[in-house]
Amino acid sequence: MATAAADNGLTISSNKSGKPAAKTRRGLTSPIVSYLQAMPLVLILGLFLLLPILTIAMVSFWDYDSVRIYPDFVTFNYTETLGSWVTWKIYLNTFKFTVIVWLLTMFIGFWVAYFLAFHIRSTTMQIVLFLVCTVPFLTSNIIRMISWVPFLGRNGLINSSLIQLGIVPKPLEFLLFSEFAVVLAMVHLYTLFMVTPIFNTLMRIDRSLVEAARDAGASGFQILTNVIIPLAKPGIAIGSIFVVTLVMGDFITVRFMSGGQSASVGLMMSNQISLLQYPAAAANAVILLIVVLLIVAAILRVVDIRKEL
Amino acid sequence: MHPEKRSREFYVLAFFFTLFVLFLYGPLSTIFILSFQGPSGGLTFPMNGTSLHWFRNLFEQQAVGDFGGSFRRSMVLGLMTTTITVIVSLLAGLAFRRKFRGSTFLFYLAISSLVIPSILISLGIGLFFQVLGIRPAWWSSGLGAHLTWTLPFGVLIMFAVFNRFSPAYEEAARDLGATPWQTFRYVVLPMIAPSLIGVGLFGFTLSYDEFARTLMTAGTFNTLPLEIYGMTTNVTTPVLYALGTVTTVFSFLIILVALTAIIIVGRRRARIG
Amino acid sequence: MTDTTNNKSGLNRRMFLKTGAAAAGLVAGSGAITGFPTIWAQNIKNVTLRQFGTGVSNLNDVANKVKEDLGFTLQMTALDSDAVTQRAVTQPDSYDIADIEYWIAKKVFPAGVMQPMDVAKMKYFDKIAPLFVTGKLTPDSKIAQGTAPHTVGFVESADSIKFAKEPTKWMTLIPTIYNADTLGIRPDLVGRDINSWADIMDPAFKGKASILNIPSIGIMDAAMICESMGTIKYGDKGNMTKAEIDQTIAFLIKAKTDGQFRSFWKTFDESVNLMASGEVVIQSMWSPAVAAVRSKGIACKYQPLKEGYRAWGGGLGLAKHLSGIELDAAYEYINWYLSGWVGAYLNRQGYYSAAPETAKKFMTADEWGYWMEGKAATGDIVAPDGKVMEKVGAVRDGGAFEARMGAVACWNSVMDEDRYMVRKWNEFIAA
Repeated sequence: MATAAADNGLTISSNKSGKPAAKTRRGLTSPIVSYLQAMPLVLILGLFLLLPILTIAMVSFWDYDSVRIYPDFVTFNYTETLGSWVTWKIYLNTFKFTVIVWLLTMFIGFWVAYFLAFHIRSTTMQIVLFLVCTVPFLTSNIIRMISWVPFLGRNGLINSSLIQLGIVPKPLEFLLFSEFAVVLAMVHLYTLFMVTPIFNTLMRIDRSLVEAARDAGASGFQILTNVIIPLAKPGIAIGSIFVVTLVMGDFITVRFMSGGQSASVGLMMSNQISLLQYPAAAANAVILLIVVLLIVAAILRVVDIRKEL
Repeated sequence: MHPEKRSREFYVLAFFFTLFVLFLYGPLSTIFILSFQGPSGGLTFPMNGTSLHWFRNLFEQQAVGDFGGSFRRSMVLGLMTTTITVIVSLLAGLAFRRKFRGSTFLFYLAISSLVIPSILISLGIGLFFQVLGIRPAWWSSGLGAHLTWTLPFGVLIMFAVFNRFSPAYEEAARDLGATPWQTFRYVVLPMIAPSLIGVGLFGFTLSYDEFARTLMTAGTFNTLPLEIYGMTTNVTTPVLYALGTVTTVFSFLIILVALTAIIIVGRRRARIG
Repeated sequence: MTDTTNNKSGLNRRMFLKTGAAAAGLVAGSGAITGFPTIWAQNIKNVTLRQFGTGVSNLNDVANKVKEDLGFTLQMTALDSDAVTQRAVTQPDSYDIADIEYWIAKKVFPAGVMQPMDVAKMKYFDKIAPLFVTGKLTPDSKIAQGTAPHTVGFVESADSIKFAKEPTKWMTLIPTIYNADTLGIRPDLVGRDINSWADIMDPAFKGKASILNIPSIGIMDAAMICESMGTIKYGDKGNMTKAEIDQTIAFLIKAKTDGQFRSFWKTFDESVNLMASGEVVIQSMWSPAVAAVRSKGIACKYQPLKEGYRAWGGGLGLAKHLSGIELDAAYEYINWYLSGWVGAYLNRQGYYSAAPETAKKFMTADEWGYWMEGKAATGDIVAPDGKVMEKVGAVRDGGAFEARMGAVACWNSVMDEDRYMVRKWNEFIAA
């Protein structure tokens, strides 16, 4: 049963496959109820998201000079952006960060979630450990960003400890203001976004499946690859969506941790916005939106969380 | 309950988890140490003596900015965002259990909300309010901007939850004669409660610390992250770190209190039961 | 700025924003008062003015003093420099008084979100330093390159958004604060004399140098460096041609890929932390940042350089929607601002007051001598918060006011090729 789900993420999930009758029995909730339930989300997203996006899309075709924007229909915001090697290089750089951070957060996130779901037995303890992981994020990100300097810097905590222990003769420069620092800070910021959804799906795995697999003589590794990971796919997919979108749109982490030496799409936009070049930033945003939606669609093709409902 | 002994896997993973937690707390350690800087110390090493000066200073008026007011605004905004996020995500999660016209569009809209760089949402909402002639304020446009950030998380987590939620429980309840409301209240809700707490926690943390989305939507008054960022244009004292240390210690106290409460209630229940 | 008058008249930001402003103006205007002075004095106490700007001058001490001296409430909101520009343009409803820099005003004022100020209502107009009126420090000094404050200091009439070439009766901003910026160094770590902008490119400082990452200011620092190295000759550093921008950026990209820079900073605290932690030993810096490093017991010098300074100036502007009693309160505030107390406060932080004469009355002779005349301190020099900044015998880096402001090579500026410049700056950051 589990392998069937594993083989094809597009099939309906395992716990539903045995209950074809469920569909008819659920006739109690008519579509109207669904619409009513979705209404608050529709209203909020419509007002605060759809309209602003449409504004952005509209403005991306406008003309501008150093002080104003003019309603117009020009395409040079797009041709300038797409025709420049900078854009391509920045996208490449952003993709690089995305892939590295995605792989790292997925690896770390999965094992942390696995540990919490399968090895911590009481719900209270799980909640406590989760909270412990959340506490660092209650201190403002700006303060945390500043604190990386005395942590990773030339005379920082890490370097001075390493020197005192005699591990390195002189401070490691690459720890701060480098791409390494950017990746480190992003993994730090975003791993929890991977842990939470994976943990949620792991908790819903029927423990008897694992027992059954063990009884059938599966090794621990086989259980992991044939039972647990396939069933955790939706969680991994959702976590991946979180992480990929966060990294693709990030500008603060990149600027702070690379010391302004590295660029990302978000940073390019924020530079334009800060100089009031809204149409150029809007065009960039539209392109980024399309690119990221394509990535998300690709993730959903592998694991369609909608179809598994 | 699993009666078997803790395996080697447990110890390996426990070690891994500990490393992860240490990693999370890494930069916090410098915040903690440096918040005890002497009165003339800075935001970086070397330490310039040790003192409690900056903790006292935290409650005094700064040269620039106002911790108290902005903290209050951020707390209220965070709680408003959390409440709305939990309710709206739950409803949306329920709605999405069946396919309805436009559900795919709504789903992708929610995803777009994550994707569009916060700074543009901020700008979009700011301009939009101007066009309507409404004054932006942290509790109106700011709240809306925060919701575009927390709702997609809430909705997606709810997806993951209902994704693996077997309808068998509801059917059983219905077979036993429960009304839809009773089914929801006494069967569904208790089962998804931990996830709802998770959504709420997520929502609060995201909102409390949101910077870019508030930038153009906060109106006249700053939320805490904006205030802190504004202060970095003038303040370079460890008072910022003192704020970090106090926040962390305070959070731990709350967790401790909550934990004790849970244990006491649990014991009492056990005794009664 | 001539392109602001071109005929692409359509919906612009101004119109975008006008609706809201008009509504607010109507409400405020209907409350206009012509009554008795006593009622007036009572009413003005109920006025609340909202001011925003960077942390440089949005000081709580100023708000407290306003309450004490004038009776009304001033609410201060501090933001970073990017956010200041954006809020000024996109949210004119969210403030009454904008505390912005002149080069930002060059962008903001033509957006039509602010109202010019009547010179006739300014008590201390004649005390304002001529730098902000004629552009000349002394009658025979040369005007520096870039967006010099006087070029965007006046508009043609009360409802104009077009900057005037000559001083008129209508000011865009009343000047409040300005300074001459140069390189900050760690004298204990550089190990040699620094006397030129070119020194920042010394291979000895590889991986230990930094410049600003605010494009419109960073490019000026870069231009100072290029010019002093003799790499590029500029017609006007404050208004470069495309070719000059290309060359400057190419130069920066080369220096960056060679690993000359440790980091690029954007906010005040970053520059302080870079210097205090020893990550960087030479960088472009702001005067109070140097003071902040020094106050931590770390040696830091604001090194005067032979090519001169890059200067900036800021001032207060009034939002378009202000009228009636609030507008009167705003004028009172402006007059109070120039009357000396704030000027002295700013002087003591290492900035310059726009009305030095009035500030002098609020400073001791020793303070005036140290900050303005370049004389050795005869007693401890104390910061506004009571901390000792300098001991007896200290002399200000760069010396007297005339020596520093007289050696300004260019002002922070907005170029005609602004759009092109930002694109190129993004290339530099991406490279």
